[in-house]
Amino acid sequence: MTRSRIISPHRPRRHGDTENFWVCLRVFVSPWPVGAWLLIVALLALTLSASALAQGRGAQAPAATPRVAAPVDMTGYWVAIISEDWRWRMVTPSRGDYASIPMNLAAQKIADAWDPAKDEAAGEQCRAYGAPGLMRGPTRLHITWLDDTTLKVESDYGMQTRLFHFRTPAPTQGAKTWQGVSTAQWVMAGGGRGRGAARYGSMKSVTTQLRPGYLRKNGVPYSAGTVFTEYWDVHTEANGDRYLVDTNVVNDPVYLQLPFMTAIHFKKEPDGSKWDPTPCDARF
Amino acid sequence: MNGIGARVVTFVCALVAFAVPAFAQVDLNGSYATRMYEDYIERGPGEFMGNFTGMPLSDEGRAKALLYTSNQPSTHERQCLPQSAGVFQYRPVGFRIWSELAHDGSVLAWVIGGDNLRNDIRIWMDGRPHPSPNALHLAGGFATGTWEGDTLTARLTHLKTAWIRRGVGIPASDHTTITMHITRRENLLTLTTIQEDPYYLTEPHVVSRVWEWNPRGTSANRPICNTANEIPRLEDTGIFPHYLPGQNPEEDYMVRMFNLPKEAAMGYAETLYPEYRKKIKGTYVPPAECSARAPGYCCGWIETQGRPGGAPNLTCNDGGFGTLGPRGRRATEQ
Repeated sequence: MTRSRIISPHRPRRHGDTENFWVCLRVFVSPWPVGAWLLIVALLALTLSASALAQGRGAQAPAATPRVAAPVDMTGYWVAIISEDWRWRMVTPSRGDYASIPMNLAAQKIADAWDPAKDEAAGEQCRAYGAPGLMRGPTRLHITWLDDTTLKVESDYGMQTRLFHFRTPAPTQGAKTWQGVSTAQWVMAGGGRGRGAARYGSMKSVTTQLRPGYLRKNGVPYSAGTVFTEYWDVHTEANGDRYLVDTNVVNDPVYLQLPFMTAIHFKKEPDGSKWDPTPCDARF
Repeated sequence: MNGIGARVVTFVCALVAFAVPAFAQVDLNGSYATRMYEDYIERGPGEFMGNFTGMPLSDEGRAKALLYTSNQPSTHERQCLPQSAGVFQYRPVGFRIWSELAHDGSVLAWVIGGDNLRNDIRIWMDGRPHPSPNALHLAGGFATGTWEGDTLTARLTHLKTAWIRRGVGIPASDHTTITMHITRRENLLTLTTIQEDPYYLTEPHVVSRVWEWNPRGTSANRPICNTANEIPRLEDTGIFPHYLPGQNPEEDYMVRMFNLPKEAAMGYAETLYPEYRKKIKGTYVPPAECSARAPGYCCGWIETQGRPGGAPNLTCNDGGFGTLGPRGRRATEQ
């Protein structure tokens, strides 16, 4: 045995390797004074703490469930503030009014043939309520934990439910649905050291397995191949107001020329007194 | 230095070298290109006059906005007048963000670069207090910032009276304040502004937008503004373009054009929330097909984003500038 022997990572570890490690460690530290040893331990703890906080994006304590590890509380009732794109979000625009969506020619042809009566007859009146269209709608959201690993987002507009799975492997087979399959993860932010310090972070989600629907209520389509990526931030103002901002990117290789990216904001409400579920409506 | 000391020094140096600052901040430095997928008409070709949808205007704010005509910015003294600090949310150009460093290398301020119509916004990060209310007001205001996780939150005060939005005359007073939340993740920058105004708004005006990091930085240049005589009848006549109260012919434009309820077009706060949709259900009648009614604003393709032209065979009209062909050129040029 020599002190300088390098253990190859490609060689199976043996009991002797562990023994070698402790021998090396004892030789390395034994001549040190106690003060130096304490200094090193303290610095090591500080370093690991700093690294975990500043660099630990997505890192979670093994025992903590996503619900416990949440760096931000998204639960409660939230209302969409329709301060942007009002004419396209609050009311149903007329056929042909597609401004701002980077649709392609195939999408335009489909949208030009939009007929809500046909959608109703086909039982497809929820086409504008699939996840990418739903989030831009005039809706309230009710966010709760379904269990320790699943966040539930309900809308009263169209009475839809989105489930965000933190740990459960998302099924890749089966029928496509309006809300698809969403996987989620916490994105831990730097800052906030020490017990009791504020924690920061956001949620990233990716939704696939979407049933084809509409980005805008007047028939601008998205395809089943759409990938809907969202970043959820919560901002708390000095007066206590809280805003949920959903930065989202719609990637559709079939009907979009470019990723369709927007940010949608919601304001926290004190309770569910204004919650008013209404079914899907293909016309208004 | 003896052997033990050398070992200790080496060990400590290694620890320090691999350590990451506990309060790591996101580097915002760079140029960001606008992506006009929201409020495109206002940010691109220009908004319809009399369209205040999405605004929580007070009666005073609405009255002042209705005095506005699009000729006002053509007066010499207003051609280069800086617009509101938050107006970049409504403009078609990108911006650059850079850090200014203190002598020790720490970030003293983050700066959102302005252009010929908007001043720089300098967000001080050194904890300095906001000055007296009577201190100088600037178009870029006075801003202080703090990091809340990966989000830079800034509070702007000491702003000048300016138009909040682009080209429709919605005013902000010099008592307005703006809170900004700036979050960068990968190549996307989300910027949320919450504007309050005790005179012209009845509740905070919230806007959230997405920008995309643009290493070419071509959208963040700073052209010089020069004045010129844009409207001959305004030259040396003392005429100030405006509408008198109650005489703005555009006040009902959105009602005539899009069948919108007038309270929505005039920016009443109740129209911002989902219950308003239920209120007008049954009375709102969608307008006729877009292409026949408003041929200028109905196409999905956006030429003016700095992207290449439209998809093959996709033609549309960009609203007043002309019909665009497959590669984004005017139909008359092809």
